[in-house]
Amino acid sequence: MIKKIKASRSEKIILIFIITLALFSFGSFFYIKNKCLFIKNYDPKKITFDNPKNIAILNVPCGNVIIELYPEISPNAVKRFETLVRSKSYDNVAFHRVIKDVIVQAGDLEFGKKETIDYGKIGTGKSGLGTISSEINTPFNFDKGSVGLARTQRYNTEDSQFFIILRDEPLYETEYTPIGKVIYGLEALKKIKYLDKSEYVLRPDFINSLRMLVD
Amino acid sequence: MILIRLIILSLFIFNTTLADTIYNLIKIPNLEIYETKTENKLRYLYAKQPFTIGLDNNINCYDSKKTLLDKKYQIIKKNLDKYDQEFLKKINLKYIVLCEDLSISNINTAGIPDNMMKTLILDIKFNEKYFERVIHHEVFHIINDSFKELFSEKIWSSFNIKNFNYAKCSTCTDKLGLETYVNTNGFFSEYSQSTASEDMAEVFSHLMIGVDKVKVDPILKKKIEFIKNNLFKIDKNFIL
Repeated sequence: MIKKIKASRSEKIILIFIITLALFSFGSFFYIKNKCLFIKNYDPKKITFDNPKNIAILNVPCGNVIIELYPEISPNAVKRFETLVRSKSYDNVAFHRVIKDVIVQAGDLEFGKKETIDYGKIGTGKSGLGTISSEINTPFNFDKGSVGLARTQRYNTEDSQFFIILRDEPLYETEYTPIGKVIYGLEALKKIKYLDKSEYVLRPDFINSLRMLVD
Repeated sequence: MILIRLIILSLFIFNTTLADTIYNLIKIPNLEIYETKTENKLRYLYAKQPFTIGLDNNINCYDSKKTLLDKKYQIIKKNLDKYDQEFLKKINLKYIVLCEDLSISNINTAGIPDNMMKTLILDIKFNEKYFERVIHHEVFHIINDSFKELFSEKIWSSFNIKNFNYAKCSTCTDKLGLETYVNTNGFFSEYSQSTASEDMAEVFSHLMIGVDKVKVDPILKKKIEFIKNNLFKIDKNFIL
């Protein structure tokens, strides 16, 4: 006859503790893997905008980033950006240049598309619409969330690439063409994939979609 | 040994990407903002550490103490405030880099202008006696580089007496004196006689500082007119 051994009280406590720890570890494994866990996803339909026709919705892996465009500051640059947004050209385009808490850059339509990404040339691609002139004369405060068109070392070489700054960059004024500012969802951009050792990202995150609020 | 290797390797692995906005803009490392809120929109930067630049790493400059920086900034700003935003935009000058013991190929220099990068590097430790004047001297090089077609060295050289020849470069001569002549003979200083562009820069800088005590000779008068006329072509509102 097998004699039943009764667990002592302290053994029961240890068992419960181990089970709880195992459950917590197992659960947190999935939670921690979700980088978007505490990022609020803004629904533009639930927000009232003063100028809805100037609102663009950038959808990234962690949700919506809502951008207000400033056509009165940079009319040609905003027109170019809107043209590309309306033709859905930015969909599935990589955030190819990302510096943690500093900047995210995307919009290489030639070499940055998900299906045809070219890591050797990314950042040098064109839209096919030609370059436009820099619009840098109007005073603009390049604070956190500002959106601008990227260019080469020379002025008047803006095309489709744009950047969003994640910290204040006062020196950008009169250097880069501003096109707008992020008014909601900047946190989602901080979760865009970056590398510690390089500005240029291998296997980058992509823009899911970029649309104007009003078609 | 293995441990040392691991430590060295870890330094490379954990060396993160630092976003140097200033470097991205003007290709000079180790700089920080000193002042950006100026009326003429000039941005003043200073070396927080020594830096080396140039094709052959031949340009060097060092960081300096804050007290000296603060003192010299006031002088530099007072002089550069003479140029308005529109003029600076035309000549392509936006960034002023303040550092000390500036040298190019181991030769000390007061300033290094780079109109392509919209930058003027100034040695804040340069000879106090001529310090204010050399600021304008270097600004002229920016003007000259941006409007080469206006400042013809051939025309300029024709103002000099017949047998006078400039040196091939400003560093291939021992005519380096910056003292202003009391009695000019076509030149404001010994350094004016080095090259045509240095001569123009000397004329310009003297005009910016004022030449009341100098007896201007007919050759120098022609040179002054040449500079004034061309500056007027660049900016009708430019006051000399």
